[in-house]
Amino acid sequence: MLPQKVKKAITENPRKLANLIDLVNLPSTLREFVGRSQISRLGCFIHVWSYIKKNNLQDPNNKNLVNCDEKLRSILLGKSQVELAELPMLIKLHFPKEPK
Amino acid sequence: MGKIPPSFKTARLPVTTLLRNPRSIPPHESSSPSVTPTPHPHHFPSTKKTANKKKHSSSRQKTDPSSQNPSPMIFKSPNLSDAKQTFNSILSTSPASLDLRFHNALLQSYSQISTPRDSLSFLRHMIAKQPSFSPNRSTYHILLSLSCKYPSDDLSPVLETLDLMVQKGFPPDHVSLDLAVRSLCSIGREDEAVELVKELSVKYAPPDSFTYNFLVRHLCKTRVLSTVYNFIDDMRNSVNLKPDVVTYTILIDSVCKRKNLREATRLLGVLDDEGFKPDCFLYNTIMKGHCLLDRGSEVIAVYKKMKENGVEPDLVTYNTLIFGLSKDGRVDEARKYLDIMAEMGHFPDTVTYTSLMNGMCRKGDALGALELLEEMEEKGCSPNSCTYSTLLQGLCKSRLLEKGLELYKMMKSGGMKLEAASYATLVRALCRDNKIAEAYEVFDYAVQSKSLTDVVAYSTLESTLKWLKKFKGPEFAS
Repeated sequence: MLPQKVKKAITENPRKLANLIDLVNLPSTLREFVGRSQISRLGCFIHVWSYIKKNNLQDPNNKNLVNCDEKLRSILLGKSQVELAELPMLIKLHFPKEPK
Repeated sequence: MGKIPPSFKTARLPVTTLLRNPRSIPPHESSSPSVTPTPHPHHFPSTKKTANKKKHSSSRQKTDPSSQNPSPMIFKSPNLSDAKQTFNSILSTSPASLDLRFHNALLQSYSQISTPRDSLSFLRHMIAKQPSFSPNRSTYHILLSLSCKYPSDDLSPVLETLDLMVQKGFPPDHVSLDLAVRSLCSIGREDEAVELVKELSVKYAPPDSFTYNFLVRHLCKTRVLSTVYNFIDDMRNSVNLKPDVVTYTILIDSVCKRKNLREATRLLGVLDDEGFKPDCFLYNTIMKGHCLLDRGSEVIAVYKKMKENGVEPDLVTYNTLIFGLSKDGRVDEARKYLDIMAEMGHFPDTVTYTSLMNGMCRKGDALGALELLEEMEEKGCSPNSCTYSTLLQGLCKSRLLEKGLELYKMMKSGGMKLEAASYATLVRALCRDNKIAEAYEVFDYAVQSKSLTDVVAYSTLESTLKWLKKFKGPEFAS
């Protein structure tokens, strides 16, 4: 039941929602990959995921793994292979919480 | 002139007969442009009431010129002098077709883009240019509707229009009041609507039961209960207008939605004291209330009481009954009513079967629910996306992911939408089974089919993956 509870929390919690959809000024590495200077965390995830699909980067033997090409490696901590399961966490690293 | 609908060219009523005694037109037929069947807030027990309303309002609309869409493109700018010029040019090209209805249509058209003041000036201009045109009640109702809908701090523009109507020999009747109330409510000015009703009931005519119940229902939706009760008390004290069965149905439905059981019980008592006999719809509302308040087991008692009092249950009754029993986990009993309702001549529909499947899935009998899907299709009742979502969720919860995926493929090929809960359950089941790539694919489908917004779909996926890491431990993640 956990995810359902969390889902409610996110869509009803303005700060968490903002964290997901607010445009953020990007660091230079990400800026190159995305091709824009600003993007939201959600937009970034969707961008990376469609990049993976478009370039067929999923491992043919295990679809849960992604074999990073050079571009992808540059934004995912330099790893040559990442799991799909950790993709959201890896992307979150580029979106640190703003101190307030 | 090509834009003018043909209905304006062949006027059924000659202008002259209208002019001779405009008051002789029954008020129901005179006009009420905005009386449209209101969409019902509660989905279950509303069939008959809606039907009544429709009949009622269509009889009003039949002779109502302003309800027909009068070619909105005639006036291109809200500027008054432009509008006057447009009118003059129409007048010079074809004076023959200019009857009362045509003038009203023009005014209605212009009022949609202008201010009350300009519309009034335009009306005066039309009267000056075309002396044979004498405005009737409908004409002033157009102005009234406009002044209600036009943003303002208080009621003074509305009252001015009403004063104008009195001056011109059309004192506001209950149609005017109905129109004004609906217009005010349509832009969220409920407090002003209440104020207007109070003032007009004393001055001219009290609202009829349709206006009254409309306002009560609208207040129930937008204001606290005490405001509604104050309004009902005020009306009872000032013009002796009492709530009827419909009012009580609205009130009971509303308090049940707010999960206020005590107030619902009190209202039922009041209903009894006032000597009202509940009809089928009220019983359905009470049943629905029990379901909403998680007292599904009580529906049988309501059903029995209904039978005792000689009220014939309808399809909605049986659907609510089966829904309530299923929700309460009494699936076997609910199933029995499937046959009983068919005997009574009400054939189970998609809602019936989906409620029952939901109950079976809750009990963990997802395979039984799947069989029921076949049975329902054999009987010629086609499942909808709600049915599939219910089944999908049930199958995933019962750890029957294979069957669930089959069903998901069927849904996908049929282009059906996923419900949020089913989506979350499916994604969780896939992740648990280490089918992360397929979970991502479901995410794509949910967004692409517009079942869910990307925010909801993504946050579900993200939190599921987080949960996975936490509970399956590092040996899984590595």
